[in-house]
Amino acid sequence: MPARTPTVIQLLGLAVTLAAVVAYSLFTLVQLDGLKRLGSDIVDRNRRDSLQLIRIQNDLSQIGLAMRDITEGAVPYPMESFKPEFDRIKGDLEDALAVEARLMPSGQTTAQRSMLQGAFTRFWNETAQLWALAGEGKTNDAKTLIRTRLEAERATMTTVISRLLMQNNEAEAAAVQEIQLIYGKVERNLYLFFAAVLAAIMITGGLVIRHDRRMFARVSHLSEQRKELAGKVITVQEDVFRTLARELHDEFGQVLTALGMMLLRVEKKMPDPSAERDDLREVREIANQTLERVRGMSQMLHPPVLDDYGLEKSIEWYLRQFQKQTGVHVHYEKAGVGPWIGEKVAIHVYRILQEGLNNVVRHAKTPDAWVRVRYEQARMEMEIEDHGPGLPAERRTGGIGMIGMRERAELLGGHIEFERPVDGGTRVKLSVPLPAGEKA
Amino acid sequence: MRRRDLMLGLPGLTGILDAQARPGFQLSDVTRAAGIAFKHNSGAYGKKYLPETMGPGCAFLDYDGDGWQDILIVNSMDWPGHKRQRSTLKLYRNNRNGTFTDVTRAAGLDVEMYGLGVAVGDYNNDGWPDIFITCVGQSRLFQNTGKGTFVDVTAKAGLTGHEGFSISAMWVDYDRDGHLDLFVTNYVRWTEQSDVFCSFDGKLKSYCTPEAYRGATCWLFRNKGDGTFQDVTARAGLLDTSSKSLGVALLDFDNDGWPDLFVANDTQPNKLYRNQRNGTFTEVAVRAGLAFSEDGRARAGMGVDVADLENSGLATIVVTNFDNEMLGLYRGTKSGAFIDLAPKSGMGKATRRSLGFGCFFFDADMDGQLDLLVANGHIDESISRARHEVTYAQSPHLFLNEGGSFRDVASQMGPGFLAPKVARGAAFGDFDNDGDLDVLITTNAGPAYLFRNDLMNGNRSVRLRLVGTKSNRDAIGAIVKFETAGLSGARTVKSGSSYLSQSELPVTIGLGRRDVLERVTILWPSGRTEEHRGLKAGQRYQVVEGKGISS
Repeated sequence: MPARTPTVIQLLGLAVTLAAVVAYSLFTLVQLDGLKRLGSDIVDRNRRDSLQLIRIQNDLSQIGLAMRDITEGAVPYPMESFKPEFDRIKGDLEDALAVEARLMPSGQTTAQRSMLQGAFTRFWNETAQLWALAGEGKTNDAKTLIRTRLEAERATMTTVISRLLMQNNEAEAAAVQEIQLIYGKVERNLYLFFAAVLAAIMITGGLVIRHDRRMFARVSHLSEQRKELAGKVITVQEDVFRTLARELHDEFGQVLTALGMMLLRVEKKMPDPSAERDDLREVREIANQTLERVRGMSQMLHPPVLDDYGLEKSIEWYLRQFQKQTGVHVHYEKAGVGPWIGEKVAIHVYRILQEGLNNVVRHAKTPDAWVRVRYEQARMEMEIEDHGPGLPAERRTGGIGMIGMRERAELLGGHIEFERPVDGGTRVKLSVPLPAGEKA
Repeated sequence: MRRRDLMLGLPGLTGILDAQARPGFQLSDVTRAAGIAFKHNSGAYGKKYLPETMGPGCAFLDYDGDGWQDILIVNSMDWPGHKRQRSTLKLYRNNRNGTFTDVTRAAGLDVEMYGLGVAVGDYNNDGWPDIFITCVGQSRLFQNTGKGTFVDVTAKAGLTGHEGFSISAMWVDYDRDGHLDLFVTNYVRWTEQSDVFCSFDGKLKSYCTPEAYRGATCWLFRNKGDGTFQDVTARAGLLDTSSKSLGVALLDFDNDGWPDLFVANDTQPNKLYRNQRNGTFTEVAVRAGLAFSEDGRARAGMGVDVADLENSGLATIVVTNFDNEMLGLYRGTKSGAFIDLAPKSGMGKATRRSLGFGCFFFDADMDGQLDLLVANGHIDESISRARHEVTYAQSPHLFLNEGGSFRDVASQMGPGFLAPKVARGAAFGDFDNDGDLDVLITTNAGPAYLFRNDLMNGNRSVRLRLVGTKSNRDAIGAIVKFETAGLSGARTVKSGSSYLSQSELPVTIGLGRRDVLERVTILWPSGRTEEHRGLKAGQRYQVVEGKGISS
């Protein structure tokens, strides 16, 4: 099964998220631009237009007041004196109308405009007539002109301007409503965007998590398989060793024992001393030596003491053997009472002890070693310690022997640690559970 | 230990900070010590007539020509049929020792009238300043006889037949014929008979806003040079029955040598009249951006002053407005349009709750830069009830020019200056001849205050009195440009400005710590240009047009 990496999914998710952000930003920009346009196009323009309309209205009302002053004769100045004021207002009106025409919001109709323009033109034409009459001294005619014509034109302009102002207000209200709508839309889209981004993140995250879990399951499955395999290898090895040991002990041991006894019988029948008798004794001794070696081999392959006396005794027996063979002095400490530990567990602990002490001989080369065994309710701990140069850094975890020790520990469901004691050297710490069924 | 050091160090530190922020001068209330005992009689007896809230104005003038500034304070009077007291304007002669003597009667000025404002100018070029008093009804012209007395020449001068609600007036030689003409602002068409009932609560009468009345045209009287005047309002194109004018200032915003006029209007657009150099004016305020506030409203313009703040030839116009409107600080630009800087500067914020009247640019600390004083006070005694953050009596503002930015230092001017007042008129003048500018402020239905400038920063000034020969004798309209090490500026000799009031005519140029004013250029109204060099700090000079300078 080819391993699929999650990178593709992750990149895809990232791309989707980024695309959503970009898309939404663009959308927001477009909406904001629309708002700005609407704001400047309608609202600002309307306001500026309204200002101009108010200015026009103000001018018109000033003209009205001035005309009232003229007709009432309220000011002790000749009628023509008002001409500069009228001219000034006219100038301002023209300017205001021009600005207003430029701003003209879409709502205005050409009919309104031409009506305004017509009244404006007529008004100023008639005003020219007014000054002419005033110049001729026809004051009463001039006043009549104001009352009948000028006032009417002014009223027309005022009405149109008022109507335009109202339209502006209405258009502004509509624009404000539209702006509200856009705001609403933007808000809705904002939620949508958040939901989309959230969904994208969740889907991507979910996919990644699922992939991770699969990978993890596979890894742990492989690890289990490997452990099982290693356990099987070790078990098979032990089985082979035990079979071999039994075969050696039972078959070859008995054959050699029988051979020795037969040789002894034959030897006794020979004259003493004789060359035959000496040869036979030599052969018998060879047979005895072979028997010893076969027994030793058998014991090494699978110490029968393990099956007969249990782990505790086997350890003690082995330590004695070890000291005798290697001359290393082992300081043995034992705590607690060892329960009956079955052969299935015992053999592995025994092998770990063997390997640990062999390492002391091979690598530490020190005259002393310490072995501490502690038995607890459902667990046993064992420490093998020396004060030699210690494990080289690169061998803390490696080494065939150490891998074997670790695998045996794992096979038992326990764990093993390789430490450096404060005095230097190496300490192997083994801790294994004792299965209930294994108890005696 | 460390902590104690820190605590001991703090007062020292704040002391240093204070010293840095301290303006270097104070305006001490010397009213009583100077012998100014004035009380404005608005005539109010409960009818709440609009004119009652408007006055009074004041002026610094040297009526006796002794080189010491005298004081004139305008007064109103009781309404007909409600006579309780006699009240006249007051003329105080300077005793040259920091005190004044009331010489009103001796000067022949103890005449009752409903006076509001004053303009001082030597209209007959005889060397003695004459007085024009604006009134409700007929305004008056008093001619200075030169013997310490005044004569009412209103009728002789042809000024009768002009009854109005006249506010600020200004002497200006608009046609540059060497004779001072007279510009008079009128507020609204109000008479006792046409008084309108205005009320906040529908029961009690309150003072009306100007919207209740129709506007009134300003007047321009041309000086014919023979002691008489001619109404040229209409001929000059100034007839404008819509305006409700309160303040007027002289300026030459187009730098053509011909005086232009700025008129501050209450609730109506302000007016800028450009001199057409042919005896007529055209109104250009809308185009110049001066008619309205930045948001397009006509504000309640009251007082006004104009100055060339950075010697750029571009005028800056200040207009005081109603509370909640902030003042207008219109800065001229090369294009001819003005921009209101107040909304974006601290000045706008500082004046938001103030109702400003009298205002003027003057060099308060003699550093060579023009500062701005604004006198405030509300119209309505009960305003605090309607709007809690606005009061009837208000503190004045004194904006110190710190190289282009303004800082209100009123709170550091002394308790008398900072005390809230219902101020109206404001004028400046150096009454004690110590080279710095003192301030006179009038209040509505209250006293007038004289504040002596106590300069402590060691700055000095040069004072110039200009005497026109071809130009009008007071040299009103003359521009004094000055230049010295690291300092340059321009001052105008002017009548009008502020509100109802007139400041002294001599020009004061602050020099800071400098000893010499290197160069002064005078542009006389006649068109003549003169240059004088090497003026000494602390000196007073008289410059006679075409005849040179003397100290």
